[in-house]
Amino acid sequence: MTIHCGLKPTGEENGLLLTPESLFKGGIVGRKIHKGLREILEQKKGPIVEKWRKHIHKSYPPETAQFLQREKNKFSNPIGSSIEESIWPLYDQLIGEADPATTKKLLDNLVRVRAVQDFTPASAVQIIFALKKIIRKEVFGIVQKKGLVKEYLEFESEIDRFGLLAFDVFMECRERVWEIKRNDLLKRPYLLSGGMCPSYMMKRGIKHLEKLKKEITQH
Amino acid sequence: MTKELTPQEMLRIDLTPPNRDWMDIPTVIKPGIYCYPAKPEKVEAVGMPNPHVWSPLDDDWGLPEDWKETFLEGMRERLNKHRSFKIFMDICVRCGACADKCHFFLGSGDPKNMPVARAELIRSVYRGEFTKAGQILGRLAGGRKLTEDVLKEIWYYMFQCTECRRCSLFCPYGIDTAEVTIIGRELINLFGLNINWIQEPVANCYETGNHLGLLPHTFKQNVEFMCMDIEEFVGIKIEPPFNRKGAEILFVTPSGDVFAEPGIYTLMGYLMLFEHIGLDYTWSTYASEGGNFGFFTSLDMAQRLNAKIYAEARRLGVKWILGGECGHMWRVVHQYMNTFNGPPDFLEEPVNPLTGTKFENAKSAKMVHISEFTADLIKHGKLKLNPKRNDHLKVTYHDSCNPSRGMGMFEEPRYVIKNVCNNFYEMPENTIREQTFCCGSGAGLNAGENMELRLRGGLPRANAVKYVHERYGVNMLSCVCAIDRAVLPASMEYWVPEVNVCGVSELVGNALIMEGEHERTTDLRGEEIPGFAKAEGEEVTEDV
Repeated sequence: MTIHCGLKPTGEENGLLLTPESLFKGGIVGRKIHKGLREILEQKKGPIVEKWRKHIHKSYPPETAQFLQREKNKFSNPIGSSIEESIWPLYDQLIGEADPATTKKLLDNLVRVRAVQDFTPASAVQIIFALKKIIRKEVFGIVQKKGLVKEYLEFESEIDRFGLLAFDVFMECRERVWEIKRNDLLKRPYLLSGGMCPSYMMKRGIKHLEKLKKEITQH
Repeated sequence: MTKELTPQEMLRIDLTPPNRDWMDIPTVIKPGIYCYPAKPEKVEAVGMPNPHVWSPLDDDWGLPEDWKETFLEGMRERLNKHRSFKIFMDICVRCGACADKCHFFLGSGDPKNMPVARAELIRSVYRGEFTKAGQILGRLAGGRKLTEDVLKEIWYYMFQCTECRRCSLFCPYGIDTAEVTIIGRELINLFGLNINWIQEPVANCYETGNHLGLLPHTFKQNVEFMCMDIEEFVGIKIEPPFNRKGAEILFVTPSGDVFAEPGIYTLMGYLMLFEHIGLDYTWSTYASEGGNFGFFTSLDMAQRLNAKIYAEARRLGVKWILGGECGHMWRVVHQYMNTFNGPPDFLEEPVNPLTGTKFENAKSAKMVHISEFTADLIKHGKLKLNPKRNDHLKVTYHDSCNPSRGMGMFEEPRYVIKNVCNNFYEMPENTIREQTFCCGSGAGLNAGENMELRLRGGLPRANAVKYVHERYGVNMLSCVCAIDRAVLPASMEYWVPEVNVCGVSELVGNALIMEGEHERTTDLRGEEIPGFAKAEGEEVTEDV
């Protein structure tokens, strides 16, 4: 199965600006998760997502993890609230019929913050792949009992796919940071960067003249 | 700004960071977080010590041999000079009330960005080197010795604090961590370790009177360019006075308003307002900067750069000073200027010439904020306004840290906005007024190379903007600070791209009905105002 993660495999997309549709091209739209398996995953939603949240919090230093867990006010805890607001609906998208726009928005909420923090790309998106271990621990016994191992393995591939999509979003965010850096420079070319500021040019001219005079006197 | 991964790094994916004491977690200096070092010639220009070429990524920072003695001597001197610094070193009980109040901690998740921890970087040296308990018990008493690594760590984190003072609001002891940062940066500057984004404006300001290094004719020309735009968009020709002796009022604003977008639109607002009320005032091409990056270097440097404002007021013989929309300029004006270079007994207590209002809050420093001035004019019905011209905007207001927490100005800008706009929405309570979040790039951190740091620091503010954007459709973030205007666009671009940034005076300029103006179909940015665009052959009539 080919997974298109949006980085122009067909040349149709407009650079790195991913649309939700391009994210999901050849992807998860229209996929079906086995009904029995889905029921199990729905029943276990609470403990799974709570463990997932804990795992994400733990990707920060211990003092920070404690704070992310403790502070409930959305504006006093922007990282914690973006995690909380994303993981529950994202899990629903994962086990249900994913809506591209919603899933992209949720992944974005989760990853955008991490893209400017002290994470390597791998550490930033590992939080999606971590779901495999968390879910397996929670439901694999039941899955085995019900003889749904094959279906379960297929479902795990879906998690991989979400992880890869998260990497796309991560890259989009990083590209955005660079665009902003570039724009910041282009918008304010005169600001302390010399070059285009007339008074800077004049000062440079004066310095150049002084240098010339010095050279002439020396000779 | 990525670096090549080593094979070891390739094999390791950090799932959970180690749980160790903060002193045992080494600080890794990362590109994207720090600003480039000061150029030697810019350090030399203002006679500061140890100008040299160095890089934060190098092992050798080119420190002088006796750097340790210099640092400790500098610290001793400041402990004796500033009682506040000594108290802040002694009384913190590490209760943690400030810990989660810093925008850099909230955006980065880095525990060393908790204000208590950031100050602890210096406090631990104080304990380890200056107190008996620390000297004997070392780490047991929370002390450590000053080493090169410690200095580097202090350097890294002193430039991850914007001196916004939100943390101090929550400290039960009133410890002002911004003042610890101020002293920390002073100490760093004893070795020529400033960042260039601060040092170059300082040198420029010293040489030409403003951060951008604009010479008088360039400064004048740029203001005149704005007048040409006003003539085109409004139909009024303005000839602003420069260096005019005997004017009643000297107007001083940050030079960012003269050159940087969207500050220039705010400047157009000032020009129109002064023209409209026929103010007897003057610009100065020498005191051509309200901001003071010296304040982010050392208090002495802040004093040197600030001196020009009173000197110019004296030279021109004005009665009082009016100040534009700036951030830290107002903290310096409100809390330092009078003792730095005052008292300015040669000036008069500011009185609004049109309304007769005495600005008693400015009795001592003799400098009035443009929002106070405009609010007073509106209150007395001196301005003719059509707020409908701002109807396409859904505006929220970002309390810039220094005018709000530093001088207590909360109501005036809101009063002005509510009179010039019909759609105003407040952000949540714990993100405005005295609890306002910093833009994330103040105190000289508004460079480009540290964008990751800026975006982290900007997250808490952007988070609140995002909320009002999603809830009320807010599309304009107004503020009264030139650094805010310069940096919030980048932060919005990343976090809430649908929201634009403007100064309050720009909104005033848009709404102001000037005598003799032509039909206003565009705003001060030259963009068509929805509902005001002139159809071919049709006269525009404004319904005020």
